Amino acid sequence: MEKKLSKKALSKSFHNWYYGHLTCFSQEHMQTFGYLCAMLPLVEELYDTEDDKAKAMNTYTAFFNTEPQLGTVVVGMTAGLEEARANGADDVDDETINSLRAGLMGPVAGIGDSLVVGTVIPILLGIAMGMSTGGSPLGAIFYIIVWNLFAYFGMKFMYYKGYQLGGKAVDFLIGAQGEALRESISMLGGIVIGAVSATWVSVTTSLKLFNDAGEPYLVLQDKLNDVFPGLLTAIFIVICWFLMAKKRLSPIKVMLLLVVVAFVGVLVGFFNPGLTY
Amino acid sequence: MEISWLQAILLGVFACLSSMPGMGGSSIGNYTLGRPLVGGLVCGLILGDLQAGILVGCAMQIIYVALVTPGGTVSADVRAVSYIGIPLAMVALKSYGLDAGSAEGSALATSFGAMVGTLGTVLFYGTATINLLWQHIGWKAVENRQYKRLYLIDMGLPWISHLICSFIPTVIMCKLGADVVELIKTALPMDGIAMKTLFTVGSLLPCVGIAILLKQIVKQVTDFIPFLFGFVLAASMGINLVSATVVAALFAIFNYKIKMLSVNKVAVAGDYEEEEEEI
Repeated sequence: MEKKLSKKALSKSFHNWYYGHLTCFSQEHMQTFGYLCAMLPLVEELYDTEDDKAKAMNTYTAFFNTEPQLGTVVVGMTAGLEEARANGADDVDDETINSLRAGLMGPVAGIGDSLVVGTVIPILLGIAMGMSTGGSPLGAIFYIIVWNLFAYFGMKFMYYKGYQLGGKAVDFLIGAQGEALRESISMLGGIVIGAVSATWVSVTTSLKLFNDAGEPYLVLQDKLNDVFPGLLTAIFIVICWFLMAKKRLSPIKVMLLLVVVAFVGVLVGFFNPGLTY
Repeated sequence: MEISWLQAILLGVFACLSSMPGMGGSSIGNYTLGRPLVGGLVCGLILGDLQAGILVGCAMQIIYVALVTPGGTVSADVRAVSYIGIPLAMVALKSYGLDAGSAEGSALATSFGAMVGTLGTVLFYGTATINLLWQHIGWKAVENRQYKRLYLIDMGLPWISHLICSFIPTVIMCKLGADVVELIKTALPMDGIAMKTLFTVGSLLPCVGIAILLKQIVKQVTDFIPFLFGFVLAASMGINLVSATVVAALFAIFNYKIKMLSVNKVAVAGDYEEEEEEI
């Protein structure tokens, strides 16, 4: 009789992944143990003998790490493959499963990082911060609800799509279509991040030059804003990008550099946060 | 403002849940409880000043609006930012008599958050290193075919890593914090150079957060255009974020359709060649 994974086993496998993919993280094995826990309920249901179970579990001891939310699709796909293998499919062995996993880790992480972490979360946080202006808890509550519904049902959807469609579920991630998708998401992310920075980041200068009568004839901040509103903020962001992307400085080094810039800027009167008691 | 033992312990538990890698799982832990905005809500509730908590959380959130951890390398630790940084910043604001909603208040919070977050990366590497120990036990379990033990290893034993690297540091820092803040306050007057620098740094740091994200997106100079376009939408045209997202989505769809047009062209040409071969 053909073996079919029960709803219960699939649900347990999904929830093990949903919760446990990163709980036992280390730099060496990353999400490998989360993956083993996700596959265990399936393997236990599909195979009867201890030897078969051991053989199947050993497949998943190979290193795994990707963007965990979108990566759920990979777990779903291997659930489908494992079921096929238990039914005696000839073309599914350790090698097919692991080359699939290894081949998808990169593209899925790339799209997941830019889609989930780089676009969805910043947008939700940007909206939430707007709602929380003045200290209202509304924005935080909004983020908690919307993000968690998105993450839970999104991951569930990815898992079952992966299980049902197998390789077809990720066809759109690789190749030319994936490239087009990635580029478009980057564009979306770029525009939103621009709006987020203009809304939430504000670098201003206090530099003013006074004439003999004691009236300022040059208020640098106003002049800069005449050229391009928020110019100084944009310049600082581009400099930070340049230092990290082109000069390969770590974020921490850039932060330290900014401390120096701030110190010098305060000394020469370029920056003045206007503190008073 | 003093943080009581009970409050410190509660903050410690949230630190365990929210870290990356944390005991809340990444969706609920890292991406929900670990976000400073949500951390601000939690800290505000625990410390009994919801409004100040949210305002401080908001200020810190901007630096970490896009905390991407590619390949497990972190530039800041969310548990430290959200459950050590926010409580300490709240204490500091109270102690300085600053309004959390003012520009100075958020600059102070931002500097605090970045400082604690950067130092906190030690906690991240600590946790991940201790987890190696449990994974070592895990490989033994796999070898001996004791698969049920994997659950304990993946979801139980890491609590010990967090007791050491999340719970204890948070409790100690929150208990000591008030005294340290008091000390800084007497040592560094508000109108001195040091404080001015600290506050200026606070307003500059969000640029780094944005730049980390841009690093992913911008590969060549022309990739800056979408970013600047979004900047113009908000800064010059005063469009809010939700509306800017809709405009951005439209451009993304255009781009995708145009790209797919050329992809499909190639694919159609490819099919044609295949047919010829069959003949």
